[in-house]
Amino acid sequence: MKPVTVRRLILVSLLIAWEFVPSTGLLPELFLPSLSSTLAVLWKDAAIYGHAVLVTLYEVALAMVIACGGGILAGAAVGGLARVRKLLLPVFSSLYAVPIVILYPVFTAWFGVGSESKIAFAGIYAFFPVMLSTAAGIQTIDPQFLLAARSMGATLPQQIARVIIPASLPTVFAGLRLGGALAIIGVVVSEMLTAAAGIGYLVTLNRTILDSPRVFAAILLILLLSIAYYLASRAIEKRFVVWQSAGKPLQTVQQSAQSTV
Amino acid sequence: MPAIHIEGLSHVYGGTVPALEDISFDVPAGRFTVIVGPSGCGKTSLLMMLAGLRAQSQGTIHCLGRPIPEPDPLRVGVIFQEASLYPWLTALANIEFPLSLRGGAMQEHRKRAEAMLELVGLTGFGARYPHELSGGMKQRVSIARGLVQDPPVLLMDEPFAALDEQTRMTMGHELLRIWSTTSKTVVFVTHSLTEAVYLADEVLVMSARPGRIIDRIHVDLPRPRNYEMMATDMFGRLRDRIWQQIRKSDA
Repeated sequence: MKPVTVRRLILVSLLIAWEFVPSTGLLPELFLPSLSSTLAVLWKDAAIYGHAVLVTLYEVALAMVIACGGGILAGAAVGGLARVRKLLLPVFSSLYAVPIVILYPVFTAWFGVGSESKIAFAGIYAFFPVMLSTAAGIQTIDPQFLLAARSMGATLPQQIARVIIPASLPTVFAGLRLGGALAIIGVVVSEMLTAAAGIGYLVTLNRTILDSPRVFAAILLILLLSIAYYLASRAIEKRFVVWQSAGKPLQTVQQSAQSTV
Repeated sequence: MPAIHIEGLSHVYGGTVPALEDISFDVPAGRFTVIVGPSGCGKTSLLMMLAGLRAQSQGTIHCLGRPIPEPDPLRVGVIFQEASLYPWLTALANIEFPLSLRGGAMQEHRKRAEAMLELVGLTGFGARYPHELSGGMKQRVSIARGLVQDPPVLLMDEPFAALDEQTRMTMGHELLRIWSTTSKTVVFVTHSLTEAVYLADEVLVMSARPGRIIDRIHVDLPRPRNYEMMATDMFGRLRDRIWQQIRKSDA
């Protein structure tokens, strides 16, 4: 069997198990409500869940804008300018290891319990992988690429636009993909901690009143959201980086970044 | 007027390490000159200075009668060590790259790039990306990119070093074929003594650091060259003479 077929079979059997294991009485409904009861509340409360998803998506989108914009700019400065790199890279690298969630209570004090604190937290959380891979992408450009460009008479703006940007694109994309995933995590986690809206808030709210089907309905939506994001980012990446199969650095940066999450 | 005129060229790395010492030579137009020397003797640095990519500490470099303080692709084309093709561009787009930097009609560029592709024997491979090409084909594209602006002088920095022996021999032969149709002045840097003798009109032997020219060997083999010549006494004697010089300087 092809790996794709196996993967699909595993997914389908998990869904079947989800449906039928609870009805056997092996697990109480509180621990694992069946798939059908989860889908039923999702359908019944579609308006509530729909609104929560919109709030979360809005927060994630703004967090991504902050993380991508800031990360690419800071990464370009750190990767491209040796002086800035010496000054800032050690700071950024060590900050990356800090569990930034400890800052979240501070953010709620500064920005309130609304969307702003989630956006700020998730934005900063996602900023680091984007910034670090952009810096790595620019720093690891084969010097021969630039030497060749200069020998062909490329001006500095031409070197940036025609060589540095395309050459660093695969690594930058890997960082963006990871940054986007972290933005989702950041928003959901912060919603779960302190919030009055959003999908993470619904998880916490329903957990405290022991309404398992509603908790699982929210979890299911978050799962779908993350998968949709992953597929979309892969598709975009494939479109822009046709030569990806030749770009080996992609894998390593991604792995090293993921291992620290 | 020689195509390249170098006089009293010296270079010191970082203010303290002497890299090149009092180098003087001329390369007449249309001549195929090969520079050989031990690793780290500064032959690549010398080539970079000829290309205007690096400044020398002392001495003059004239290329077609004028100094070359910065890269001038219309005078000097450079072909690099490993295939330095851009992996995000197709073979054809890579060849067009230098033309596109200067603007002008796209169709004209396309036509010239296609003509170059044909010259290096890669007609029909224009739409391929570098990772879809073999090492030899990539180096052919590099040569086409170096030739596309038709510079009178072509500098080659160990262009075939990454290729396997068979491909390397074929590419050397191909290069001579292309050269004979274009009448360029070529300065070619290599480690391979066989390659040096096979390709060159004249071989310049450099000493270990600090690099000096310690011998100039005129290669009198007739052209067009062929593989059988490698088995001749004359070929062996020339190669041996280069080897002796390098060994002496290294000891």
